[in-house]
Amino acid sequence: MDLEFFDCNAFIGSAQTGTWKPAADRSGILAAMDEAGIDKALIWHVGQQDWSIPEGNDLASAAVGDERRLWGCWTILPPHTGELPQAPELFARMKSERIRALRIFPNDHRYVPGRTALGSLLDEAVKRRLPLFLSVERGGTDYPVIDRLLGEFPRLRCVLCDVGIWGVDRFIRPLLERFPGVRVETSYLALHDGVLEELVRRYGARRLLFGTGFPARLPASAMLPLLHAPIDEEDKRMIAAGNLEGLLAEVKL
Amino acid sequence: MRTPKWASRTALGAQFWQTGKAADCPVIDAHAHMGAWRGIFFPHASPEQMARSMDRAGVRTVCFSHHAALSSPDVMNRASVEAARAHRDRFRAYCVFHPAYPEAAAAELAAYDSCADVYVGLKLHGDMHGVPYSDPRYAPAWEFADRRELPVLVHSWAGSPQNGTPVMRTVAERYPRVKLILGHSLHNSWSDAIAMARDFPRVYLDLCAVLDERTGVLERFVGEAGSERVLFGTDIPWFDFHYYIAGVVAADIPEPAMRNILSLNARKLFGLS
Repeated sequence: MDLEFFDCNAFIGSAQTGTWKPAADRSGILAAMDEAGIDKALIWHVGQQDWSIPEGNDLASAAVGDERRLWGCWTILPPHTGELPQAPELFARMKSERIRALRIFPNDHRYVPGRTALGSLLDEAVKRRLPLFLSVERGGTDYPVIDRLLGEFPRLRCVLCDVGIWGVDRFIRPLLERFPGVRVETSYLALHDGVLEELVRRYGARRLLFGTGFPARLPASAMLPLLHAPIDEEDKRMIAAGNLEGLLAEVKL
Repeated sequence: MRTPKWASRTALGAQFWQTGKAADCPVIDAHAHMGAWRGIFFPHASPEQMARSMDRAGVRTVCFSHHAALSSPDVMNRASVEAARAHRDRFRAYCVFHPAYPEAAAAELAAYDSCADVYVGLKLHGDMHGVPYSDPRYAPAWEFADRRELPVLVHSWAGSPQNGTPVMRTVAERYPRVKLILGHSLHNSWSDAIAMARDFPRVYLDLCAVLDERTGVLERFVGEAGSERVLFGTDIPWFDFHYYIAGVVAADIPEPAMRNILSLNARKLFGLS
């Protein structure tokens, strides 16, 4: 079958812990997407996690530019330190720079991800239907923190990504059942035999977003299990691209 | 839809991309499990479910140790043998040796020949059982395998006092006739794993938990140790066949190397048709 792939979880730049053949910039990520057979991508720059958040965000914007195959994802911080533009300037810049999603790395960036620190920003994210990407593996959060955060912002559109190398059903199924805004990125789900099809059967394809974890993980390994999963073709289309297209189309900036 | 470039580079890549399997390359999984385990919910852990996944990915045979054999000394290898005998055309079993229960473990070795119809070798898991492979408690297993020149699949991992590089080199030197499969290839000590494959002619490198990160390590294994020394393994039901097959057929290695890894090496090692 013909599937269009829209990667929701790829970064550019070289991670401080080492990256094999990273994509340094726009031409690098487009070449990697062509090699993998990926049509579009929502990208971020690893400097947003490892180094300086505002400068990492700028690097993500520069890579996206006016390239129609790319959209960007910025990292946010508690607004109290004034390190990033404040709303509404923040959202105006996001709109003009093709940034359509947010990320947080509260462990690495050393703050408590909840209403006290992020309330004003996450209330805006809910109102503007901005997806928030939470990386479980990459210096982000652990599941108790995610559970608390979603308890405070139950209508947040939250994408759990890099969910971990061991099967995570006992963590994510309760979240999927309680919080309708939760989606799960598939790069690690595809690593586990039968998990994609069981989640589709139980929660519907709408809750899953195709992602590769590039350059930390292999795009081909994220794609082949989905391409040949024993699920409906329409479900595959939704997971591979349609769900993310829908999410981004609903963002109000 | 854009066809991946890797799927156009080799006939094998094209087959797996288009159909999910390759008729002329029946995959052999040299490192697998079966059944429930405490820390993870496995949607597909029964032999019937695993066989359906095997069919989808063109996997001919899975060589496994049942989680009960590893984790429940009350059951031991009975679970593996019964499952393999019920599905003899698809599964072969490793005989797990449990060093904490020497009498029961000796009995399992004594029963090895009566299960020769399904056994392909021994399985040792130092981290799980908390005993280094060089410990005398493991000696009966190593001596048994060395005498018979059996394959022994071991869990191996960087930095582990049970199964890190020094211990693995010690047993490889001590038992040179064993066909030693380094499960997970001394995970993250890739240079040590390559050095062992080069230093010991009967050491094999297993890809299970090796290809879940994008590190270029398979290209190194093939280039520096040779594709004849690399075995395909997934830990299924932990992991997924297609995820790992993609890691092989999309790698920057020659197609004959892919075929060695996915099929030919294991067929030769285990005497499978």
